[in-house]
Amino acid sequence: MNTLLHISNLTKRYGAVSALEQISIAIERASVLAVLGPNGAGKSTLFGCLLGLTLLSGGEIRFASTPARDRDRTSIGYLPERVSLYPHRTVWENAVFFAGLKGYPPEAIRFQLERVGLGRVHHRKARELSKGMLQRLGLAIALCGAPELLILDEPFNGLDPAVLDRLQAILREEHERGATLLISTHTISAVEPLATHALILLNGSPAAFGPVDALRAEYRHSATLEELYQHVARAHAHNAEVLA
Amino acid sequence: MNSAVFQAATLSGRAKKAETAMPLARSKGRLRQIRRIAAREFGDRLRSGWVIACVPVWLGAIGLTSFLGLLQIGRIGVQGYERTVVSLLNLVQYLVPLLGLLLGHDLIVAERENGTLRLLLASGVTRLRLLLGKLLGGWLTLTVPLVLGFAIAGTVIGLTARDGGVGPFVKLAISALALGLVFVVVGLALSAFTKTRVQALVTALLVWCVAVFAFDLVALGIMVSTQSAEAAAEIELICDTTHVNAAAADLHAAYESGGVEPAERDMSDPAAPAWLALNPVSLFRAVNLPSQTGVRVPAPTLGMALSAWLVIPLWLASWRTRQTDF
Repeated sequence: MNTLLHISNLTKRYGAVSALEQISIAIERASVLAVLGPNGAGKSTLFGCLLGLTLLSGGEIRFASTPARDRDRTSIGYLPERVSLYPHRTVWENAVFFAGLKGYPPEAIRFQLERVGLGRVHHRKARELSKGMLQRLGLAIALCGAPELLILDEPFNGLDPAVLDRLQAILREEHERGATLLISTHTISAVEPLATHALILLNGSPAAFGPVDALRAEYRHSATLEELYQHVARAHAHNAEVLA
Repeated sequence: MNSAVFQAATLSGRAKKAETAMPLARSKGRLRQIRRIAAREFGDRLRSGWVIACVPVWLGAIGLTSFLGLLQIGRIGVQGYERTVVSLLNLVQYLVPLLGLLLGHDLIVAERENGTLRLLLASGVTRLRLLLGKLLGGWLTLTVPLVLGFAIAGTVIGLTARDGGVGPFVKLAISALALGLVFVVVGLALSAFTKTRVQALVTALLVWCVAVFAFDLVALGIMVSTQSAEAAAEIELICDTTHVNAAAADLHAAYESGGVEPAERDMSDPAAPAWLALNPVSLFRAVNLPSQTGVRVPAPTLGMALSAWLVIPLWLASWRTRQTDF
């Protein structure tokens, strides 16, 4: 079986508000899943559930055959939407600390810092970094130790075109290495060249899920992922109106 | 191929080499994460000046107390260990719980407010290991200046007063460290239950007021109104905070007149009352009272009370963090 993640009937409620409703998907190993949806659709909540940061209201998550709660999460790389690190500590100290938590030596993070272009600013305090640099530092930490699953929450936010190019190249390399990537983004054009699969979340429910090619075939007028997303969103809104 | 892609591509060979070696570099010990979190916590406090500032505070406090502790009976000069302990009790019972709570109250909530907690937990750190690491780091922050203060000031007192009876002083130092640990754990639990640093700080100060003031007054009131006069006298000596200075003066006066305890303080029952276990500050005070007062805390009571005061707040903090979305 080539499935890395089994998500069955995943539900998350905050009081009366349902953030995720009965999500059941299986994510293939070594795939790149673009998680798309408007603000508040449940993308970050889904990631929180996968990482054990958010408690499930119902359903189950399994990594291969292991229940998520029993899973050692040191083989997961995570880039949060807003990268928050220890501001008074240097780039190097922050990176070494988080790498050390996963059991990796400083040499492991040195490669990743150079890879994301922060090798020369390793002595700077985290509070002195721009948003884009913080994003790259967060990515270096996520990449440390060749994780088999990379969960990236809005990784393309606030990046200039050159850095965006570099980030896409790194993610492509990670995919070629065999890592499974889950990328949520509003910058759909940035994830387009990478995505092998797409999950479109609307109001906490999956409106579309599957390989990008199959979804394009299903929604015939969609030449790009952006068009596919618009198409699904319109169809979903139309169905909601009809049901109402 | 643009330069950015080129750089990524050229790095990939080195990166692959490093990453194939990674699994060998993984530490097998589960204590690794606890140790790293504790070291970071302590390192941050060290940089902030907390630890450095506390050393002279403790040195000064112990030294001055030893030198000026006999002012109540109209004398000055360095006292021996046992009498320094009597003078120091008051200071330690107020300061150590306060410092413990100040160190513990933001251990979790600050990480949450700063947004670093999500990344910490996503790095494979379990909630219990996070709590233990934070606790250890917070306690070390309190312990290092306390130990330095006691060690340096203790040496000076011993040399100046030519006193070899260091036992009561060592007992005070060890029990102060235990008292500090209890209040760091209590602070940690408060930190897990509160949502903002301000909320945590206010709650911590309230807990401190209850532990060092309100508990004694309430306990005294209850005992006086319900128990025998003998019990009331006992509690007055052990915990009546409004009379601590007078009690210390009485004890010093007793030392001056040959070490005989005033008749009204004499305890017919050497065992300390069980209610002392309800408040770690009262327990600390009872443990360190001079032997002449007749107050003795049985070792099992002390062990059980200390264990309960460490385990219960830690369990509550663990339960709370397991029920919380981060």
